[in-house]
Amino acid sequence: MAGTPPAWQRCGMSCHIVPPHMLERLARDADDPALRDRARRTLALSSAQAIERRTAPAIAPSPSEDFVPHRTINDAEHRERLPGRTVRAEGAPATGDESVDQAYDWLGATFDFFEAAYRRDSIDGAGLPMVSTVHYGDGYGNAFWNGEQMVYGDGDGIVFTAFTGPLDVTGHELTHGITQYTANLEYYGQSGALNESVSDVFGSLIKQWHLGHTADRADWLIGEGLLAPGINGVALRSLKDPGTAYDDPALGKDPQPGHMDHYVETYRDNGGVHLNSGIPNRAFYLAATAIGGNAWEKAGRIWYDTLTGGALATDVDFAGFAAATVRSATRLYGTGSVETKAVSRAWTGVGVPMEANG
Amino acid sequence: MRVTVVRSGGFAGIERRAESDSASDPMLTRLVGRVDLKAIPPPGRIPDQFLYEIDIDGDRATVGEAQLHGPLRELVHHVLGRA
Repeated sequence: MAGTPPAWQRCGMSCHIVPPHMLERLARDADDPALRDRARRTLALSSAQAIERRTAPAIAPSPSEDFVPHRTINDAEHRERLPGRTVRAEGAPATGDESVDQAYDWLGATFDFFEAAYRRDSIDGAGLPMVSTVHYGDGYGNAFWNGEQMVYGDGDGIVFTAFTGPLDVTGHELTHGITQYTANLEYYGQSGALNESVSDVFGSLIKQWHLGHTADRADWLIGEGLLAPGINGVALRSLKDPGTAYDDPALGKDPQPGHMDHYVETYRDNGGVHLNSGIPNRAFYLAATAIGGNAWEKAGRIWYDTLTGGALATDVDFAGFAAATVRSATRLYGTGSVETKAVSRAWTGVGVPMEANG
Repeated sequence: MRVTVVRSGGFAGIERRAESDSASDPMLTRLVGRVDLKAIPPPGRIPDQFLYEIDIDGDRATVGEAQLHGPLRELVHHVLGRA
């Protein structure tokens, strides 16, 4: 490896002038809280995520090539260790463990969706193997993407059921991987809320595609079935009506805003990435339902092209992303088309200002 | 001595908050004594991971779940329960 500069010196969109160890020191020790915060934001990529952006596959696939998934399901055996013991590899028969088999099937459905809808070959567009670990932790009520793989807990059974259950959870987590390999939206503030939102958007679209639901028939929910019996709620989030998914003594009320008037300023949750995602989520719902038909075909295509087109800054804000979706719609369907107008109006509808010619 | 822990993030994005005071929690001082907030690395930006904000008498740090080990993990779990 002699002669290869360290990752932080290689310049892509995530090029840092200041080496990470200095940023880490600043983020930890600087007396000025604003400076600490800035340093933390600049440390956008954890070491696990420090990969280069790839906006197009190295080799363009032929139009007729059938992409093949490469799935591995591991079992953490209720510890918090990754990747865990491999229990099902690609092509192996069902194990009888519901979480293992569901994770395997939902990875397959998600892979098939991105192939069928957008001719994408896996997470990186180049056939990347998909790895999931299930039974992570003890009653662990969460799922995440760690930069390399998906991780699922079983839930505590009191508030949450197993995170392997809903297809859109797998779709959400796998889309974090796609975002990492494409726009690499910085997981903080508005770009972080956009990162969360595109995971919800494609999570919902995968479910709609799987069920054959048009935009007007879809439930537009994320995490339906994840709340344990007795919890008052239908899901964890609603793209249609952010803030209405649950209201329960154990959970509180769904805190998502659906309009810029209610944008939440906070430093927690990486600057409210799971809260303010409600705003772009609703913009997508408005665009998709105004266009009509299968939401993954036109609205989904516009969002997919925007995410993977290589034109977004990693720290893009809502207005910048909105303008980019209008440019994608214009390129696909023309200026003044029904689709382009629908996208522009959707953003105005959630209070995100559009350029005059948008 | 008062310790406040706020968990944010996670797929659900549901915040959990708990606090404890050494006046009514005899274990707290010993648990805090083994923790150095200044030695905590900044949390990585891992999508949907839990973030834990720990406040010990006004000194505050945020740690990602992937870095929550040892005495700090004991303290966080003690204060937050099994949330």
